[in-house]
Amino acid sequence: MIRRKGLDIFLLGFLILSIGCVPKSKTTLSPGPPEDLTGCHAIFPAEPWESVHKIEATFGGGSSSLIGITKGEPSERRFQSVLLTPDGFVLFDAERRVKGISVRKAVAPFDSPAFARGLIEDVSLLFLPPAAKPTTWKKETNGTMICKWENPENSTEITGSMDKSWRILRRDKYGEVTKEVVLNGPFLNGLASRIEYRAFKPAPYLLRMTLIQTCP
Amino acid sequence: MRSLQRIPCVWIFLSVLVKENRMKRFIFLSVLIAMAVFFADIGPAQDLTSLKEAFRKIRSVKAEFLQKRSLPILTKPLFSEGRLFFSMPDSLRWEYLSPLRSVMLRKGNNIQIYNFSDGVWKPELAQAVESRRMVLAEISHWFQGRFDESTAFRPSYSPGPPGRVLLVSREGINKFINRIEIILSLRPGVIDRVEIEEPGGSRTSIEFKNVEINLSLPSEVFEKP
Repeated sequence: MIRRKGLDIFLLGFLILSIGCVPKSKTTLSPGPPEDLTGCHAIFPAEPWESVHKIEATFGGGSSSLIGITKGEPSERRFQSVLLTPDGFVLFDAERRVKGISVRKAVAPFDSPAFARGLIEDVSLLFLPPAAKPTTWKKETNGTMICKWENPENSTEITGSMDKSWRILRRDKYGEVTKEVVLNGPFLNGLASRIEYRAFKPAPYLLRMTLIQTCP
Repeated sequence: MRSLQRIPCVWIFLSVLVKENRMKRFIFLSVLIAMAVFFADIGPAQDLTSLKEAFRKIRSVKAEFLQKRSLPILTKPLFSEGRLFFSMPDSLRWEYLSPLRSVMLRKGNNIQIYNFSDGVWKPELAQAVESRRMVLAEISHWFQGRFDESTAFRPSYSPGPPGRVLLVSREGINKFINRIEIILSLRPGVIDRVEIEEPGGSRTSIEFKNVEINLSLPSEVFEKP
């Protein structure tokens, strides 16, 4: 029990430190020139895409390996996501549509609506830009884009360039970072080869994703 | 489970935590594992009874495999490569080398699963290991060629050539697998490939190569990743 309690305290401390280490946005932005606006969407697929990722998940007290498949149609803000075990068994299969989520297959405990919403939210952050136009954006002299979408519930900020790496920050309405995504090149068909997806709230976890197949 | 409902984004956490679905989730892996038994001297067998008799001649198997996973979502199939080691009566190493490195080790009642990550082998969640144990217990009679005693599949055999073993799923299992077909090589004791059909149009094909039978396999093959 003592050991377990110590572990809990360690994890809590780690979580607090992790959140503390994520810098808040310091750049003051305003709507930039229209010609720079396309740069805000550079990391999101513009055409129908299909991707297969190796996923290494790390969380409090454990790790696991999975295969994730996503196939999407950006113009309709629609995609399908499938999770597989390393041996190929389908654990979860769901589709994000304009009017909600359709779950085709979900093996318990992946079969709750809350789980489906969480996964679709995570995949959306990776592959779909926020639906509205950015509230502010800027292209720096070295080519780095800084774009921000804000709404009453949360904000999304992306920073980077295709020749370096990109970072996506999702903050809650209090300004605290809930998700941080780092996308590293090379970019194949516009998709990052390596992704680090770090969730801080409501529970911390880390996903390391490696692109292993893409089409077209 | 209530806490899981409150944490929708923690989707990776959630694997292999519920007992009631352990059997379902690892039927697929179990099929792969069970196929090790088919590396028996089953070339000339004429029926399931003679197959069972032939299994008694096998002491060990070593092979490589190429797995092709076809899913409706995928334009191109997903390929995995791996290798297996099997030693009578109940030692097995089923290992994927790419795209994910993962290995399942079974020796007697001891089962271990490891995933290779950050340059080291990391043990899989205890619950996942336990789930394999349940399924392996369920199909243990397969390892002895006792297909006619399976509660999961209804077997039939045609001598060919090439010889084929067909396993048709019984009620319950057919939600996950429709049928399994094992195509035997003309070379006695070797199979060419296994085809697994699932509901909804998904398929898995596993081709075996470099099959060696009755080698002396060191014990640690089944003990360490």
